Parts: sequence; structure tokens; C-alpha cells
Amino acid sequence: MPALPKDMVRTAIQAGASARAPVTTPPRFRAGETVRARNINPVGHTRLPRYVRGKRGVVQVNHGGFAFADTRAHELGDQPQHLYSVRFEARELWGNDASLRDAVYIDLWESYIEPAV
Amino acid sequence: MNGIHDLGGMHGFGPVVQEENEPVFHEDWERHAFAVLNLTMAAGQYTVDELRHSIERMPPAQYLETLYYEHWLHAAEDLLDKKKVVTREELERRIAEMAPKEKK
Amino acid sequence: MKHADTHTEPPAGPALRVKALESLLVEKGLIDPGAVDEIIDLFEHRIGPRNGAKVVAHAWADPDYKRRLLQNGTAAIAELGFTGLQGEDMVVLENTPRIYNVVVCTLCSCYPWPTLGLPPNWYKAAPYRARVVIEPRKVLAEFGVEVPADAEVRVWDSNAEIRYMVLPLRPAGTEGWSEDRLAALVTRNSMIGTGVPKVTA
Repeated sequence: MPALPKDMVRTAIQAGASARAPVTTPPRFRAGETVRARNINPVGHTRLPRYVRGKRGVVQVNHGGFAFADTRAHELGDQPQHLYSVRFEARELWGNDASLRDAVYIDLWESYIEPAV
Repeated sequence: MNGIHDLGGMHGFGPVVQEENEPVFHEDWERHAFAVLNLTMAAGQYTVDELRHSIERMPPAQYLETLYYEHWLHAAEDLLDKKKVVTREELERRIAEMAPKEKK
Repeated sequence: MKHADTHTEPPAGPALRVKALESLLVEKGLIDPGAVDEIIDLFEHRIGPRNGAKVVAHAWADPDYKRRLLQNGTAAIAELGFTGLQGEDMVVLENTPRIYNVVVCTLCSCYPWPTLGLPPNWYKAAPYRARVVIEPRKVLAEFGVEVPADAEVRVWDSNAEIRYMVLPLRPAGTEGWSEDRLAALVTRNSMIGTGVPKVTA
């Protein structure tokens, strides 16, 4: 791609580059469903932080399809997946000394989660 | 990767320090690091995901001890070299040429 | 051929490195020097939290806009002309007396640029990123935000490409205020969740 010229800078910034991308398979998870963040430990790029892995949370909403960061970082293409907002209770993440009421919300691609048993 | 950047929940980092009336950029080189990174991304040299992963691969001590825009500079140098767009050799040669001359 | 004595010279600092890198990129026609100045100017002077303050003030003044803003942040924010890089997919979080929202990016520094500009250093540094997910009340207290025991803190980790912005609680005593006057109460930190709007006199 050519260099972005000065007079296109503002347009380019205002357009941005959304990572939204269509996913042809139906979503695996529904709002209200309890899921578990998978215990994956890839050596490459991932956006699944360690503090959430193996923990149970509740799906809040399906944001839609988004390009998958883990593959894009390694020039393996967008490979879009459904992206879910998932709520994890503080006590689930940090133990019983944590606040009873607080929670962490995080956005998880479908391959980051599995049904909770 | 289970890198140093994955900080959520870690202990030992001390208070959050806010700077009063903090400027957007503290130094001129930060302005240019910001510009170079965004413009090379806009020209399709790499994606934001590649940028993040390059930063994640910094040696952990270096990651924690360098300034934010040094992370961006690290990534730009790393990715542009990897893609053979600006090689390390070219860059080091240019740095040597531009360095202030030593006093004799 | 002159060259630096690599046994005693420290590596070149970032200022020299950026200068060298930029000069090579310009020579190779990969970046336009005019674009460098333009993008710096855009983010240093034209894009910043005053944008987000306008969104908040409009939502406070117009209940129908507020509803749209909470329903589809991207579209509603775009109504006011704020769009683009690092804000292509926005979700706005409403603070209430019982729900305190606070935004972080534990893995790096993701932040909603079109509405808030570039993030402050504290947002990008290790202490905030490490601590706010595990001890949010303590971190908020350090920012001067006391969370009642019966309220709930929701920490939003912006780990994907959704960007989050807090719609702070409207201060009491501002009924009938113009949007300009309302916007002046909205602080940057109140839109991250680590602060509250200024109180009226």
C-alpha cells in the first residue's frame, strides 16, 4: 500500500479500521449462559489474560463477528469468530477475600470459551 | 503468550501515579514515534495485532523499565526489519550517520 | 569510515532512533512527512476528551439520545461526528448510584481515541493495569472515588476491539443547564470511571 498522504490523514483517522467481520456459523453461546474460559497457554499472541483462564463466567451479549487477534498477529488471516462479553464475579477470579458484589467484564472470542459443566 | 504484559492481578506495582496537567506528548520524539507507527500501519506494513505481539516479546525487564513510546519504537523497528522494509543494518548505519560527532 | 565505538557507546536513545527511522521511511517513500505533522497535530490539538464531554452532556440533556447511546454507542457517538480509529466499535456504560463502571486494558493500552483522545500515562502503566481488576475499590479510592458498600463495581477489560466509555452520573443541581455548561463539568477521568464529574458550585 502507498504512503498515506497528508490530505488523507484526517479521513483515514475518521474512518478507522473496524475489526468487525462476518461469521457464517451460528453462535455457540447465548446471553445468560454460564461458560468457562479455556485453559490455553499459547506461545503466540492471545488476548485471553491468565487471570480469567479456567474461570466460570456468564455470557452477557454477543457483540457480533470480529477478526481474531490471535491469527492476525501471525499473518494467518482474520478468521472471524463470534465475540462475547462475559461477566466474571470477583470472588470467582480472586477468591473469597474479594468483594461479593464486584465483577470483571471481558470480551472473549468463541474459541476462548467452552460450556461450563 | 504468558508474557510480562499480561499484568492483570499482579501484585507489587505500587500506587497509580497521576501527572498533573499531563501533556499528550512529553517529548518531540514521542510525537514522531506515534506518527511513524500509525502511518506505517496505515500504509499496510503491519496490523495492530502484530504491533501488540512485538511489544509482548520485549525482554520483560526492558518492557517494565522503558517508556510507553519506546515500546512503540521497539515494535516499529522489529516489524519493519522482519518485513525487510527497513533492516536493522540500514537503521544502525543511519543512526551512526546522524549521531552527534564525538569531541576529540 | 567513522563508526561509533560499540564497546563504550550506549545504544542510541529513542530520539535519535526515531529520527533515523523516520528519515529512512521518508526516503523510501513509505511515509509522507506532511502526514507526520498532520497526524501529530490531530491528536495533540484536535482530538481529546472534550469530544467525550459533548457526548455525555448531550446524553444528560436529551433522554432519547441517552437511550440511543446506551443501545448503540458507535452510532450515537457518530451522530455528534466522533468516529474512527480506536473507536470503531463503542459501548457506553451508564454509571448509577449502585453501579460504578471502570475501564482498563490490562494487556496493553486500548482506549477510545475518538472520544477521549490518547490515554494518560497512568492508564498505560503497570500499576493501574495490574491492580484495577483485582482491587478496584482501593484503586478508585486512590483516585478519590469512594464506592459505597452496597454498590457494585464493574471493571471492563478492553482486551478485544470493543472500546468502552463511561457515562457518568449527572451532578445534582444542573437542571436546565445548557449542554456547554454541562460539558464543562465532565472530566476525562469520569469517562474512564476513575473520577466523577465536577460538582456544581
